[in-house]
Amino acid sequence: MKTMVNIKTVLYTLVIGISSIVIINGCKTPEAIRGKSGAQLWGENCIRCHNSPAPNTFSDDQWDVAAEHMRQKAILTDVEITKIRDFLKTANK
Amino acid sequence: MGIAFAVAYLAPRVNAQTDSTGAVVHNSPLGGSEKFLLAGEVFTTWQTTKIHGLPATNSFGNDPDYPMGLMLMPLVKLTDRLFLDAQMQVSANPGPGGGTDVGLNEAIIYYRLTPEINLFAGDFQPRAGLYEGILDDFTNRYGSAPIGMGISTLSEPGIGVQGGIQLGYSKLLYQLFVANGPQLVVDSTGAQNGQLNYGNYSDNNNNKAVGGEIGLLPFSNSTLELGVSGQYTPHTGNAGSPLENISNTTYAAYINYYHVFNPLMIRLQGQYEYAQTKGYNLYTNASDTAILISKFTNQMSGWFGGVTFRLSGSSNTFISNLELAGRVGQLTLPQGAVWGATHPENQTTICLTYWLTWKTPLNLVYDIYTQSGSPTQTVFTVRGMWFF
Repeated sequence: MKTMVNIKTVLYTLVIGISSIVIINGCKTPEAIRGKSGAQLWGENCIRCHNSPAPNTFSDDQWDVAAEHMRQKAILTDVEITKIRDFLKTANK
Repeated sequence: MGIAFAVAYLAPRVNAQTDSTGAVVHNSPLGGSEKFLLAGEVFTTWQTTKIHGLPATNSFGNDPDYPMGLMLMPLVKLTDRLFLDAQMQVSANPGPGGGTDVGLNEAIIYYRLTPEINLFAGDFQPRAGLYEGILDDFTNRYGSAPIGMGISTLSEPGIGVQGGIQLGYSKLLYQLFVANGPQLVVDSTGAQNGQLNYGNYSDNNNNKAVGGEIGLLPFSNSTLELGVSGQYTPHTGNAGSPLENISNTTYAAYINYYHVFNPLMIRLQGQYEYAQTKGYNLYTNASDTAILISKFTNQMSGWFGGVTFRLSGSSNTFISNLELAGRVGQLTLPQGAVWGATHPENQTTICLTYWLTWKTPLNLVYDIYTQSGSPTQTVFTVRGMWFF
């Protein structure tokens, strides 16, 4: 029972903490974030779970499919996955 | 006669398809909108296992988490908004007698309703922490499976919604779902009594499991990801049975962090899982059910924490492809269950990986398993995995 209470306390604290950060950050996206390039987003996000693939790993059509897979698997934002996909397609020429 | 029948049956359709007078074919996708990619991986392991006081044993493909096998992942972008993602696996059965296991890990159809809302349906691995479904194949930098994982939510049929949202400098990701949920195992021998089966296409009662995950990436460079998830299944027993109202609750929390101190990259990863099947210890009346049910508190937990080091910025190619990882973990099973344990089991892992390509690791893994009252077990594993 004590272990259960401690777990719930930790989880509630995490949820409240996360909610607080969300509220503090607000909803407006700063220019520094909006201005990130596809290359920068590729370098920051892919490496979090796996090594970053080189742009010439796949063809343009294959990148279209791979990007959709990663959109859902990693739950990236629409802006992120669009910019990353476009960067990979233009960089694999 | 069969050929004649086939020609006669197909003739009108063939003629219709060759009619080029501008007939409109409804419901056909825009030209070039369907795109297909077949990904997958092949994997195998070689292990030498030593239990204190006994001779060592050596085996190919004997790792229950990474037996010899092939995983295929067909990915289909049907339209700009519609996407099909599946995963199936054929692997050697490491258990007694051998044989082959064939399984459908996932089969999901996604529809992007808005940039922040993606609907999905199918047989899916819920976001229950970060390990299952994300860090469990070539992304597992520790070579072996963490001992404390796999007790939370596993693949199950259902529907849901998920998406990522930019919130200022931070990002939020979410997933909410309704699924068939796990089913209670009732076993008169007690060997599996109180365990749960996932992946049930036919529900055993009229109640569904609900669950979800919230993740936060608080830093603008996305180096840190934190998340909590959970699932509640109000009824796990068969409809109409005395055990129907036994509920199950699972929680998970995770951290995934990386930082580059050029040329060194460091990762910190960890996850905690907890599962409880409530009300179970109340059902002890064998005369009602004719099933022997042991009294025990049906809860379990597991966790792991790991760190990896890689000189990814080194000018030496060989050095830059090496990664050293260390991990500790623990699994606590219910006391009093036939399948449980009196004491937690601990795992200490050290792994040296050479990345042949960005997605092809060769792992050399040394695991030490300890448990109070049991002999120490050490396992040396060579894991080869080629993701294509």
